[in-house]
Amino acid sequence: MSDFVGISNLPNQRYKIVSKTGSTFTLMVAGESGLGKTTFINTLFQTSLKSHVDHKARHQKGIRSTVEIDIVRAELEEKDFKIRLNIIDTPGFGDNVNNRRAFQPLIDFIDDQHDSYMKQEQQPTRSEIKDLRVHACLYFIRPTGHSLKPLDIEVMKKLSTRVNLVPIISKADTLSPREINEFKQRIRAVIEAQEIKIYSPPIEIDDEASAEHSKILIESIPFAIIGSETKVQNPEGEMVLGREYPWGIAEVENEQHSDFLKLRSLLLRTNMLDLILSTEELHYETYRALKLDASNGNKDDSRSKLTKRFNNNPQFKEEEDQLKKVFTDQVKAEEGRFRKWEQNIINERQRMNLDLESVQHQIKQLEEQIKDLNIKKGYK
Amino acid sequence: MTALESHQPDISSESSANYENCETVKETIRSGTPQAAATPSNSTDANGSGPVTPEVNIIRRKLNGYVGFANLPKQWHRKSIRRGFNFNFFIVGESGLGKSTLVNTLFNRELYPQKEVRDPSAEKQTNVKIETVSADIEENGVKLHLTVIDAPGFGDAINNSDSWEPIIEEINSRFDQYLEAETKINRTTIIDNRVHSLVYFIEPTGHSLKPLDITFMKKVHTKVNLIPVIAKSDTLTEEEIADFKQRILDDINTQGINIFRPPTYEKDDEETILSCQELMSRIPFAVVGSTDEVSGKDGNNVRGRAYPWGIIEVDNEDHCDFVRLRQLLIRDYLEELRETTAKKLYENYRTEKLRNMGIEQDHSVFKEFDPLVKQQEEKTLHEAKLAKMEAEMKSVFDQKVTEKEKKLQKSEAELFSRHKEMKEKLLKQVRLLEEKKTALENSSRNMLDNPSQQKSRKRIF
Repeated sequence: MSDFVGISNLPNQRYKIVSKTGSTFTLMVAGESGLGKTTFINTLFQTSLKSHVDHKARHQKGIRSTVEIDIVRAELEEKDFKIRLNIIDTPGFGDNVNNRRAFQPLIDFIDDQHDSYMKQEQQPTRSEIKDLRVHACLYFIRPTGHSLKPLDIEVMKKLSTRVNLVPIISKADTLSPREINEFKQRIRAVIEAQEIKIYSPPIEIDDEASAEHSKILIESIPFAIIGSETKVQNPEGEMVLGREYPWGIAEVENEQHSDFLKLRSLLLRTNMLDLILSTEELHYETYRALKLDASNGNKDDSRSKLTKRFNNNPQFKEEEDQLKKVFTDQVKAEEGRFRKWEQNIINERQRMNLDLESVQHQIKQLEEQIKDLNIKKGYK
Repeated sequence: MTALESHQPDISSESSANYENCETVKETIRSGTPQAAATPSNSTDANGSGPVTPEVNIIRRKLNGYVGFANLPKQWHRKSIRRGFNFNFFIVGESGLGKSTLVNTLFNRELYPQKEVRDPSAEKQTNVKIETVSADIEENGVKLHLTVIDAPGFGDAINNSDSWEPIIEEINSRFDQYLEAETKINRTTIIDNRVHSLVYFIEPTGHSLKPLDITFMKKVHTKVNLIPVIAKSDTLTEEEIADFKQRILDDINTQGINIFRPPTYEKDDEETILSCQELMSRIPFAVVGSTDEVSGKDGNNVRGRAYPWGIIEVDNEDHCDFVRLRQLLIRDYLEELRETTAKKLYENYRTEKLRNMGIEQDHSVFKEFDPLVKQQEEKTLHEAKLAKMEAEMKSVFDQKVTEKEKKLQKSEAELFSRHKEMKEKLLKQVRLLEEKKTALENSSRNMLDNPSQQKSRKRIF
């Protein structure tokens, strides 16, 4: 008994502290609307956190489309353990014909949060620190069965240097298992060729079970998922989350049907801490180091960044163009008025010339007449 | 797949079983339109141009189904084993109070070797020195990097004023070192050398605290987790200990000295609460240290000290509070000591330090992120930019228009005046000619009437 000092109890102490204090977790969903982001989030947390787009409102000039970033904040409790959950989304995404700029708010958001955390961290008193650093970004890929689009590649590249990027094939029930495999392989090939650094669960070689689990997760990337918030009866008679088709039931939590369970394991069950720590220790530190390195020279950086952002906002750009157009039109109108005015002057000049000419003509006539008169006189 | 199942043993049993009945505890109604959500509580600012204080909506729910984030503490458990632990603590007290022995007893190993008996002729050093001993201890796969900081010479001099200075300097410099490390650009290899606890040894006088004890504790209690212990408590009877403890606690309270007390949490179970209360009731711990094994009453070997009148067992709770001290310092609250050091003591030190350096707190950076406020800010800036653009364009435009108008007016005026001038000239000419003509006509008429007269007139010309 005396040999036991109590050091082996330290992990339990850590366990207790974490249990009692809870945690914060911020998840970002990226992808065009209609890919099942909302459904996935609600399925993942088994409660409706996000409300679906109101399709009735689509004909109104909606407020939604003007919101660049949408945050859902929640405090969830599972088995007495509390987390502050933040879900980041871009509701207006995909509403534009050109989506190149639509991703910018997401990228800006990640940088902004790192920036904000850094500024808070530097304050003398920082107990009230607000942490919205994004721990994982789920990138929803359209189940085309083809490959990644150039825009996907561009955006994933940008995201992967800032955040733990987790690619997902959504609505995988539109692809057959063979198609999914091929699609996954193609995506993995592109990710590798383009050197996109997606999140990969660490393999701890000294822990066989955990290493094996990580391997299974890695092999499943990009996770092909089915989302459903409704329960249907499967052939075994159980009520399960799934989608009912005339040809059968696509079950969310069936390993044969989708990678939902693996993805949930990666996000919450087994790798949540790793996502949190790698965000804090890798992504945030990278941002901070870059920023501190750069800030020696460039003090006015925040302003220039903001102005840069204006150009990224299509609506602002549109308004600027609109203003320019108004002026161009005004200039045109004025030019027209001036042209008319000038024409008037020319006309007037011509009229006057004619007028003068007529007088001159009169003079000539008079001169002629005088001449005649003189001649007549001379003959006399 | 087997590994996956072993990691998620309850997938099939628990998953989604309770999807519908997640109990909504307190749900703030998230307003349908984001605009309503952003409407600030201060109605004076309806147009949102001023500083907006957003109301943050938080959905609060208790989940009954299986989601999986409740596994995070378990993940921390695993992670903490991988990363290992570290702990730095200070032992302070006059020499001869059994500090080294106690440390050896606590960790059950010879961190401090048996001191050699000082050469009687050697001069006793009077300056307080700082010495550290480090060790890596592993127990059931859990690794701890331990550092014990000692201040030999403390309280040994005749005049002990300022004898605490080296100790405070040591505590501060360890904080400073951490502060510097966390301010660096690269801080991947940050090492926590901060003092997580200070065990202060009180001489078992049986009276009360000495002035040096009070002065010292008051000097350090805001910087460290202070744990006072009554050293060599085997010299006091049970009753004496109880009285002594009470007097010490009275002194601590009257002097406003903060000592470390185990933290409690909202949902602690009864057992935890009781054990915590029991622990608190023993403060300040009366301890006896010994690494020697002696044969106990029932014949077992125990750590203790054998006296002719009996054996005092270190690990026997009826004999001394050693077990409690170990519980507080290692078994149950080591991580809490570290947590308090990092979250409170260090933060206070840092705040003070930065303030003294003239760094002002910028409260504006602590606002809750609100996309609408953010958007509003950007919109305001954008509108200002637009307004500026418009004003600039308008002024240029107006100027150009005015210039052009003036030019046209001028040329118009010139045209009219030139025309007028020319016309007048011509009309004058006309008048002259007409006069001439009339004159001629008149003269010719006269000539017809009176030709001779005309002839004579001609001559005159």
